[in-house]
Amino acid sequence: MSDHLLEIKNLKITVATRRNVLNLVDNLTLAVKKGEILGLVGESGAGKSMTGSAIIGLIEKPVKISGGEIWFKGKRIDQHPDEVRGHEISMIFQDPMMSLNPLWRIGDQLIEVITTHMNISHQDAIKKAKHCLVEVGIDPSRMNAYPHTFSGGMRQRVVIALALAPNPSLVIADEPTTALDVSIQAQILDLLKQICKTRGTSIILITHDMAVISQTTDRVCVMYSGRLAEIGITKEIMAHPQHPYTKGLVASTPQIDASSFEKMLYQIPGSMPALDNIPSGCAFHPRCEHAHDKCRAERPEVLSNRAACWLLDANEGQ
Amino acid sequence: MSFIIANHLTRQYDLSDPWIVRMLTSNKRKQLTAVDDVSFSIDKGTTYALVGESGSGKSTIAKMVVGLLAPSAGAITFDGKMINDETISKADRQRLRRRIQMVFQSPYASLNPRWAVGDILKEPIRAFGLFDSRADQDKRVNELLDQVGLSARDANKYPHEFSGGQRQRISIARALSSQPDVIICDEPTSALDVSVQAQVLNLLKTLQKEFSLTYLFISHDLAVVSTMANKIGVLNEGKLVEEAVPSQLFAKPENPYTKMLIDAVPDFGKV
Repeated sequence: MSDHLLEIKNLKITVATRRNVLNLVDNLTLAVKKGEILGLVGESGAGKSMTGSAIIGLIEKPVKISGGEIWFKGKRIDQHPDEVRGHEISMIFQDPMMSLNPLWRIGDQLIEVITTHMNISHQDAIKKAKHCLVEVGIDPSRMNAYPHTFSGGMRQRVVIALALAPNPSLVIADEPTTALDVSIQAQILDLLKQICKTRGTSIILITHDMAVISQTTDRVCVMYSGRLAEIGITKEIMAHPQHPYTKGLVASTPQIDASSFEKMLYQIPGSMPALDNIPSGCAFHPRCEHAHDKCRAERPEVLSNRAACWLLDANEGQ
Repeated sequence: MSFIIANHLTRQYDLSDPWIVRMLTSNKRKQLTAVDDVSFSIDKGTTYALVGESGSGKSTIAKMVVGLLAPSAGAITFDGKMINDETISKADRQRLRRRIQMVFQSPYASLNPRWAVGDILKEPIRAFGLFDSRADQDKRVNELLDQVGLSARDANKYPHEFSGGQRQRISIARALSSQPDVIICDEPTSALDVSVQAQVLNLLKTLQKEFSLTYLFISHDLAVVSTMANKIGVLNEGKLVEEAVPSQLFAKPENPYTKMLIDAVPDFGKV
């Protein structure tokens, strides 16, 4: 297990309401290798961001981690996330407009992060801050500029610089490009890939867009209703998705294609179940064309080479 | 016969300092040209897509076509009549406006949170005096909800009870409620999940066939546009840099900016 930077075992995140206890993340097991980009994909409410928050220890009451373990570099961190938050694991949030302090110069924001997490002098921190800006493609002469003078894409670059400043080994990027234009999105994704390559930093990329996953990640983990639906190498999953939900996600992504105008896009019927009303058995069965009795009765789990779907067993049996 | 014709549209914003500041500092007037001499035409029952990045002037054009903004120069003709023509009577202008509706980008910001869905859908019906009796209005609301894939029960619910995709369906129902000929869709799916996006785009296509609607579709995502548009116009810094049918645009983009936009779209094939 030495090549695993982060391991999540049977993670369960719940929230207690007046009537019952809802499972936000249910029995999630996954691992992140050193220097890889792992994609976490699913619709709104699938538990992707909750998983990210759990890793970095940002889960707050009434939501709580009620089961499972999170291991980072051989240490269990789910009980003491403060030890790694910020300097070992950092986070890039979705909206670059909201994650910068509008009243602080960006240089000062960087220096604050650096001096909080690293034991270096102010002079060195300034040098380091400039270096970080160069790394994300921003002219270091803009250290004294305020966030409002930057465009959305430039702000996201600053946020990435902030996340990288304390040299973390894992960065969680929660929908880093959803608020950006497609052309800027391509630049930011390239930047993340390049950082992963040159620094050897592992990245967990949370998104709902299969196209982004296919272009950026090494491995992908598909979540549905707080559960793992499928996990594997991105290329294989994009080429041969096993789970009907993954198939639907791939097929419903618009592609540039001159003939696509003639056709309707594939759409997954229905919508994700409410948390207080997760169906029995496989949570996806009401939206699945091929569901049979076993799907309604028993809950499938992800096995080493198989997605969480009973249909795969049936196909093998034939 | 072209249904909507935009003729040398230009829109400038005045960014000058107040006059007293200009007097004291002898600064000149500053004009920002958001839309610069843009001409295009849309045939009835087809979809024309405007593509470009933030700040390229897409939404400014949309606002001018619905009549929310007056052009600084140039004109828009809709079914032979000028939009924003000061010389025609207010009633005539309102009649024209009924036929052009808009679906906005964020379904979270474009529905009044304090109104029930039924009231949201009835507002255009009342404003344009389409049905007088309450019973007829209710019937029309049910019909609209059915057309966009919601149920009649939903009329009594409030926007916060719906998901993003469902809210965008309500926005579409509201646009349909005045029985328009043209719907301007300003980034209708960019706030939605990809899987929900597919549902909304398909709904727009189905409705187009059913009511022979004309769409002006605005987006920054060429992949989305390729599934919707009969004709695509690419905007860069307020200028229309290229205009073509999709097959031609994707096979042989002529402008380097168009090429950059196409390359930016994440593509399964490029893995």
